Amino acid sequence: MVYWELLIKNIKVQFQYRIAHMINNLGSLIFGFIYIAIWVGVLTGKEEGSPYSATDMTHYMAYGQALLWMTIFLTPGLGIPNRVRNGAISLEMARPVSYFTYTAAQEAGRIIYNLCFRSIPILLIFALTVGIHLPTNPISYLWMTVAAAVAIWLSINLHYLIGISACWTYEISGAHFMIVTLLFGLGGQLVPLDLLPGNLGLWAQWLPFAGVLYTPVIIYLEKAGMEALLIPVLWASVLTLFNLWLTGRARRKLEIQGG
Amino acid sequence: MKLFFTLWGASLRSRMQYKGNFLFSSFTYGLIMAVDFLMLAAILLRFDDVMGWTIYEVGYLYGIASASMSLYRLLAPEIHEFERYMVEGEFDSLLIRPVPPLTLLLTRNLELSRIGGVVQGIAILVLSLHGLAATTHWLPALLYLPVAFISGLIISFALGLITATLAFWTQRIKDFQAFTLYAPNNAASYPMSIYPGWLKWILFTVLPVAFIAYVPALYLLDKGGTWHNLWVSPAVAGVFLWISLRFWRFGIRYYHSTGS
Repeated sequence: MVYWELLIKNIKVQFQYRIAHMINNLGSLIFGFIYIAIWVGVLTGKEEGSPYSATDMTHYMAYGQALLWMTIFLTPGLGIPNRVRNGAISLEMARPVSYFTYTAAQEAGRIIYNLCFRSIPILLIFALTVGIHLPTNPISYLWMTVAAAVAIWLSINLHYLIGISACWTYEISGAHFMIVTLLFGLGGQLVPLDLLPGNLGLWAQWLPFAGVLYTPVIIYLEKAGMEALLIPVLWASVLTLFNLWLTGRARRKLEIQGG
Repeated sequence: MKLFFTLWGASLRSRMQYKGNFLFSSFTYGLIMAVDFLMLAAILLRFDDVMGWTIYEVGYLYGIASASMSLYRLLAPEIHEFERYMVEGEFDSLLIRPVPPLTLLLTRNLELSRIGGVVQGIAILVLSLHGLAATTHWLPALLYLPVAFISGLIISFALGLITATLAFWTQRIKDFQAFTLYAPNNAASYPMSIYPGWLKWILFTVLPVAFIAYVPALYLLDKGGTWHNLWVSPAVAGVFLWISLRFWRFGIRYYHSTGS
């Protein structure tokens, strides 16, 4: 299966940089400790008025910091803009495979690598230093895995949308910055969405960004059940259909620069 | 020094050829950083304070830290992106010029889009000082800002230069920057008192970002410091700059071309 081959090959490519990634993990851990310190500092003595205790927020930040590497820090535009610029996209699109799945399979390889060499080591260190939440109900492990898978599916689609738009715009760095900012802010990375002020907290939960971090984290913390996945699954399905349609348009539109 | 400004002027003129892109990217960077602060504001709006520091007091730290980092990214992008010189073997071409490589690197490019980050930092400071006006001595806090910006820029630059120097041995530095620059700068945006002891120790010594805003703010915002805090920060910045320059010279001596 060609997609499987691509996935395995991309894990091997990433593996070449494992030492650099381990050093980078230190930075990621420090960020995590900063966020945990902020929340512990904020909640000390004020836990009564909050739906989250200081321990909840410690686990929220630790799990979120590990999940980032699988759902937010994807390759900008899934690497499509480079292939538009050097013309390689014309050959790739001419191949008898689905271009969407072809691109997604490569990114999936990187995500599996990140799971093993970034997310799990980061989570282990947090477990040893600040502790880790272990779901009490066995079924929660299943929902936690499903929620992470939906988050990855959703994020690949959001990044693909930015990437394939390069066929029209050529330059996506601004759009990529924008999407990452939205994923951080409205994805609940620093502040759980239900703590955002006023209506912002309500409507942020209806947007696709929530499903990328906030939903999988609260499902892991057992503060929400599987029904919380409904909106992210809907968004992911709609975005997948839209991306497939857009890929068809791109194929027809394709302008090759210097290819 | 004259050469420094001539080269700088040329670099500035070349960057201003793309005014539209400059305005758009400045706006985007400013906006992204503003979202980050809004999230913090959302927390403190609901929970009042973090270990006794209000949103305006944290805003004072945050504004100085983010303006310092943006000033460094504005003035020294070639130091920040130094691994390119190692990976692509461009450093050789700097060594054969009759000007020190560091002067060349500092005058080669200006990343003007980072002005957006400086403006955002200043905007947060304006809001914070306005909020502080009713409660503490906001005037000394305002007057101290130029000193804070300079020591913040110097500490950020020294950290950047030390990280860049690592490239003489490791070639790539991007992954170090998360640990030596981004995370410490983020840490400098909040009061050090919230951190666990080992982290505090790192932020006061190896990566001395505590001196960017927290140390002088202790005195300026009446948080328990003495007036000595005001001169300690620039002094630490000076010493740290000297160490980073020594390390850079040491690194150059050990430089071996990739032979490309």
